[in-house]
Amino acid sequence: MLTRRALLQATAATSSGLMFAPWLQTVLGAPTTGSAPRRLIFVHKGNGLFPQVMVPPSLDNADKEKEQRKQAFSVDLQQHELPEWMSPVAEHKSQMTILQGLSGKMCTTGHHTWQSSLGVYKANEALTSIKWATVDFEFARMFPSPLEHIELACFPSDGGNARGNINGIEKGFSARGPQQPNYAFGSPKIALQELFKSVSSNQSDRVQYELERRVLEFTAGSQTGLAAQVSGSERAKVANYAESIDAIRARNKKLEEMSDVIRRNLPQLDAKYLTDDLSTTDRQWGHTEILLATLISGMTNVVTFTVDELGTHYTGLKGIENERVNLHDVGHGKGFGSLNADDIRRTVRTQHMALINKIITRLKEVPEADGNMFDNTMLFYFPDNGETHHSTGIEWPFVVFSGRNAKLDIAGRYIRLPYYGEEGHKTLGNWYTTLLNAYGNPIEHYGELDVALEKMKRNQKGPIKQFM
Amino acid sequence: MKTIVSLLILAGLLLMTEATVCGQDAAGDVTVPKDVGAVLNKFCTECHGEQTREGEVRFDALASIEKTARVELMGKAQEQITFGSMPPKEANQPSAEQRQLVIDWLASELRKNNAPTLEDKLRLPSYGNRVDHAKLFSGEVKAKPFTPARRWLVSPQIFTERVFDVLKLDERERAGKRPAGMYGVTNPFTLPERSGVRDYDLTAVDGGHFLVMQTNASWIADRIIATIRIKLGEPVEKVLENRADRWYPLRGSMGGKAGEKSWAFDAFEVLMQKTSPPTEDELSAAIQLQFANALQRPANETELRSYLGLMRAVIEVGGNTEGLRKMLVAVLLESEFVYRLEFGAGEPDDFGRRRLSPREASYAIAYALGDKGPDATLVKSAEEGRLHSKDDYEREVKRLLADMTSFKGPVDPAYRNEHNDAYISTPHPKLVRFFREFFGYPLSLRVFKDIERSDGLYRVPDRGTNGTPGYLNVEADRVVARIVEADRDVFVSLLTTDQFFVYHNLDNEKGEKLIEGWRKVYETLKDTNWKADPEQVAKDHAALLQQYVAPGAMKGKGRGVHETDLSRIMTLFEATFGRGGRPFTTVPWAHGNRFWHSPFYNLPRTPREGEYDRDAAFDYHPVQPFAVPHRKGILTHPAWLIAHSQNSATDPIRRGKWIREKLLAGSVPDVPITVDAQIPEHADKTLRERLAAATSKQECWKCHQHMNPLGLAFEMYDDFGRYRTAESLEHPDNVLTKAKVKYGADTYKTAPLISTGRLDGTGDTTLDGDVTDALDMIDRLAKSDRVRQSIIRHAFRFFLGRNELLSDSQALIDADRAYLSSGGSFQAVVVSLLSSESMMYRK
Repeated sequence: MLTRRALLQATAATSSGLMFAPWLQTVLGAPTTGSAPRRLIFVHKGNGLFPQVMVPPSLDNADKEKEQRKQAFSVDLQQHELPEWMSPVAEHKSQMTILQGLSGKMCTTGHHTWQSSLGVYKANEALTSIKWATVDFEFARMFPSPLEHIELACFPSDGGNARGNINGIEKGFSARGPQQPNYAFGSPKIALQELFKSVSSNQSDRVQYELERRVLEFTAGSQTGLAAQVSGSERAKVANYAESIDAIRARNKKLEEMSDVIRRNLPQLDAKYLTDDLSTTDRQWGHTEILLATLISGMTNVVTFTVDELGTHYTGLKGIENERVNLHDVGHGKGFGSLNADDIRRTVRTQHMALINKIITRLKEVPEADGNMFDNTMLFYFPDNGETHHSTGIEWPFVVFSGRNAKLDIAGRYIRLPYYGEEGHKTLGNWYTTLLNAYGNPIEHYGELDVALEKMKRNQKGPIKQFM
Repeated sequence: MKTIVSLLILAGLLLMTEATVCGQDAAGDVTVPKDVGAVLNKFCTECHGEQTREGEVRFDALASIEKTARVELMGKAQEQITFGSMPPKEANQPSAEQRQLVIDWLASELRKNNAPTLEDKLRLPSYGNRVDHAKLFSGEVKAKPFTPARRWLVSPQIFTERVFDVLKLDERERAGKRPAGMYGVTNPFTLPERSGVRDYDLTAVDGGHFLVMQTNASWIADRIIATIRIKLGEPVEKVLENRADRWYPLRGSMGGKAGEKSWAFDAFEVLMQKTSPPTEDELSAAIQLQFANALQRPANETELRSYLGLMRAVIEVGGNTEGLRKMLVAVLLESEFVYRLEFGAGEPDDFGRRRLSPREASYAIAYALGDKGPDATLVKSAEEGRLHSKDDYEREVKRLLADMTSFKGPVDPAYRNEHNDAYISTPHPKLVRFFREFFGYPLSLRVFKDIERSDGLYRVPDRGTNGTPGYLNVEADRVVARIVEADRDVFVSLLTTDQFFVYHNLDNEKGEKLIEGWRKVYETLKDTNWKADPEQVAKDHAALLQQYVAPGAMKGKGRGVHETDLSRIMTLFEATFGRGGRPFTTVPWAHGNRFWHSPFYNLPRTPREGEYDRDAAFDYHPVQPFAVPHRKGILTHPAWLIAHSQNSATDPIRRGKWIREKLLAGSVPDVPITVDAQIPEHADKTLRERLAAATSKQECWKCHQHMNPLGLAFEMYDDFGRYRTAESLEHPDNVLTKAKVKYGADTYKTAPLISTGRLDGTGDTTLDGDVTDALDMIDRLAKSDRVRQSIIRHAFRFFLGRNELLSDSQALIDADRAYLSSGGSFQAVVVSLLSSESMMYRK
């Protein structure tokens, strides 16, 4: 089943010929981290996320003033109302953090940002602009799983990242390594077909799966035979290849062995979610089911979900179900149907929160160790380009949901960090460094530095210590 | 006394001659033979004994060191003893035999522990210069040269061409597909980003490559099958559902857009048309066709049998088309598809070497000079057995180098979308590509720059653009291409030319004609009433304007933002011709005009409407190249200077290291991991002063002495490549005036600039010594034999895909002689290298 590029674009680093991709190591029996798996879910949206819509309306005047002046402060969310659009996740308020004040000027900003928001560098369409693995892949490698990482996307139909088929498997918003884009599933249908092929009840899918298995077996045999004929350093040039094919076969076997659990958690999707012309909101709901199925079955521990991008033409939005909403126009203040641009932005965000509520609620229903799956999960909701439609990266708001065993001490708070350029200001790089450090990757700093902050002689490396 | 103690200990150890001394790690037994122990005892333990432990290293108790650390120590020792850095110069030296004895013993211990030996390490690019330069060119080495029999992973460019081969694309289609690649094919092979030769024969395909190849193979196979389905009458829309991916090969055979072609997938089509299982002959024909397309050879008996088995098994389950599809995929997944095979299938000689077979030779030559397989003449020569001797190799290489059309193309197709490909195309892109990699200026794309510091002029690479460094790289490519094409005194010219290309977007003749036409308009109209009544003047001189300015497009009132009218054009002419300059051939208001980078060459800014008097008059040179002041060769080209700079400062260390390694064939060790390589901040000190503070300690200077004095001479250029006479002390405490416009630069206090440096390592006392600045240093470098030979060593690595060994001495000496006797022809170097025994023999 693992024959499509979405799953299998792994490291092609020319300098490390003898290294296996981490999931290959897993398959080959290298030790993985013990105890319950850690799960991370990255949900990002296009068209910016306004800092002003993140603020609890019940702040007292002193805090309101601080907020307006963008001065650092923090309050307990339990003592406050959430902004109205966050009402779908109100039940999870004690596990929620609204994080404001991060900046991301070292990213490509403006309309589209490609891998920037996850990689913290300036990315564009050119593969050469991908400098290193995005942070979600860093986590995927820390918490290995059979599939390592899954990316789902509601691709834009114009502009932006994908120029291909919004129902296909296309270059996504994550990166596996330098110059290696990840590939994302564009529709629930293609994701279901590809990810769950080994347990498909469809006869032709079963045949395809069997044929692909045979090709792998054939190639493994021919390359192993070839490797046996050569020696010395030349041997590695073939043996590595042969061994990696064997590793893939072993991984497939492992997934086959998991077939009961995968089958038990198969996404239950009505026919309407499996068409090619489904509405954007149905696409999101369908993807959410896929996301849950892959996490709950243990096929992966890290999922990245592009809920929309600037070039996504929204359909199915509540109140304007029949409109085809061009998010770019919304960014320029245009309304559709009965809703003005602000209403549409609010409706879109509310829809995102409903999706997130479903993810969290479902994970809370699945027992794990002495609690439930969400205990070991963190979910991040954030814009792919910063604070607004034509963003500059001066702010990069986040909503974070942390399970009981999360490694950061931030749950249940509204946090505004010092503003850009102020003493103590933090960047997207600091934020990801904090997360990576907290979960056991000792990296000194993740991401590119901000040259303007460098010019101001601000220390911008390392984690946000107060979160740990 | 210390020595005596360690000697005693060592003596005690040696008494257990040939016996195994077990340390803490039972698996790491180590035996020190008597004679080796005696050498260690005599020359090493005085400093590296129990008491002294210089550098925390001991040789008196190897067995007591934990295995990993011991193996690492042995690896380092082998390196240092081999390269003569140990024992230190001032100490007693062992004889050559004694040295070799220890080296051999260390190598055997390392092998025993599966650790990389020096022999392995010497194959790495970073060890290229470790082979003794003087010895290499001394003529005393008599060892017979050879290249190890090898699989050499294809370069990204060769991979692309191989995919085109499988899909049977003609040259026109290839040219169209090269810049952006194929929709469904991801190139799994990237070259490391470094200056210097990047494509070595060391890389092994791994799991990552396989995964990418798997998806590529599926797409390619689908595409071939789709093509046949379309030929058999199915509508394109049905066969290729993805609207963004409707391209298919061989359209030309079906009345599509591509050029005339004959149908090339017959043997595949037969299988798809048949409803019953195919015959063995039909299956074999399909297998042989895919082998020919993908691996450029027929399948042998064993392979044929094995593929027949696969196809039959698949056909039984999935039918004929699936059988075909899986066979197409499986052939593409053969590791051979991504390797160049050079094993030496020819006859062996008396020294255990085997010649490349004529067929292997045809590929080796073709891939050395281009990215495609051998042309028809090479194939014929190989088939007729005329690719055997040195003369044969020479004949073919010379023929291909004289061929001005077959290889012609852009130096880097990736630039084609943004820049007009015609003006960077060259008859032999691969030769230019060598110098491009050698100098490493394309790395300028990777150095992020703050726009404000450039006063709003620098465009950072972004969506669909390589920004300012992209333009500069293209201009550097042109300088290189011109010198390579002229093929006279190539190295000296590259290092010393003052002839540069800046903004050259029209060829010389067209550009000159345009500017002269504009001058005529200016001279004719300058004394008219054009300011007060432009419309009337335009009407009165309609024919003149029509001829020279904007045929049919001269607009009056109500013009669009990008349209030309008389007032606009005359204002520009007045600001340029009127002040003794010349305007650029593209007017400032033209849509998409992004030529703003002239100040990085210290030329006035491109005139921008409303700001014409901001700088000195712009004087565009329609005939290029032209002499640019304060510049001398590629090392003073803004692209190279930016590539070898930091984000917001120059980088004398990197610039110096480049010169040491690339031009002086020297080595500088990597930064030790214990060193936190930071240049301290200080508001009042120049970078030179701060660097001195950070590197003057003895342990730092040991390495930095090989870099700083070379790189500091380049302080005459800032990190955008601008020539300067004072250093701006860019520290928040030193701001004199804040920028008044968006993206404008703040001004800072400055300090007088010192651009002196010191050259050493040419081996020529008339050249080594203090230099006044980079230009002085470059003049000396250009005169150095060592520099010339260093470039030839790098060319060897580029064309042979490996580091030179001492046994390659003759190839290098011959190439050097060829260069000198031909008046500095790089082509002569290439011919010499590609017809050397190093090229022809495998072992």
